[in-house]
Amino acid sequence: MEGSKKFFDKITQTEFYQMWFKNAYSYVTGAVLLSILQIATLASTGEPWGVSGVFANWGAWIYEAFGGSVDKWYYFSSQGAQNTLNSGILNDPGSYRNMGIIVGALLATLFASQFKIKKIKNKKQIVAATIGGLLMGYGARLSFGCNIGALYGGIASLSLSGWVFAVFMFVGAVAGSKLLVKYFM
Amino acid sequence: MKEVILDCMGEACPVPLIKCQNKIAELEIGDVMIVQIDHSCAMKNVPEWANKEGYNCELEEVDDGEWEVIIEKSR
Repeated sequence: MEGSKKFFDKITQTEFYQMWFKNAYSYVTGAVLLSILQIATLASTGEPWGVSGVFANWGAWIYEAFGGSVDKWYYFSSQGAQNTLNSGILNDPGSYRNMGIIVGALLATLFASQFKIKKIKNKKQIVAATIGGLLMGYGARLSFGCNIGALYGGIASLSLSGWVFAVFMFVGAVAGSKLLVKYFM
Repeated sequence: MKEVILDCMGEACPVPLIKCQNKIAELEIGDVMIVQIDHSCAMKNVPEWANKEGYNCELEEVDDGEWEVIIEKSR
């Protein structure tokens, strides 16, 4: 045990560990990586990068696993949506991508030894997280995308809708900040 | 000259930063504020703000996923 501790202490001191695993990448590095990877996503799956639409499908699969059916739901009524649901989670590129985000984020925080299960500080946090999560999920479905699918994907494919989304997301962020300062400070 | 501890554990952005801005306004020049955080974004934006304001600032990793930002109201 003593030997392995020494070994890991030595690794964490190296320049490469600090650069790749410990320190946050710069905004420019992140932007370049995101751009390259979203092109790879579009080229390999034929669809732009999206995140929140996949969660709606996960919800539908969970509902179906308990015997429910979403065949008659307007949101899932298109042929494309039905095809995605019928071919299953194991054949859905978006599901792999989202699982990759979750597992990747966990690995990144473990490699940097910054993993921590945070305490819930007060009941306000639970209420705000629940209401905020529901509003974000519902809003993302109403607008056919979140800040990735509608904003990032929209602007990257030179669609005007992405810019419209950006303007109203900014309005929402201002309103959200005012509420945050009023109820959380 | 006094030293105050600002507990921002379990708080997500931008709450730690706004708390810092409010707290430092109450302090005198020369006072030191120790901000306890466990949100990795705050470990970037709190020192960024302190440096921009021209305060002396140091970041210390105290445990896995826990940091202390030590800010001296130096002006």
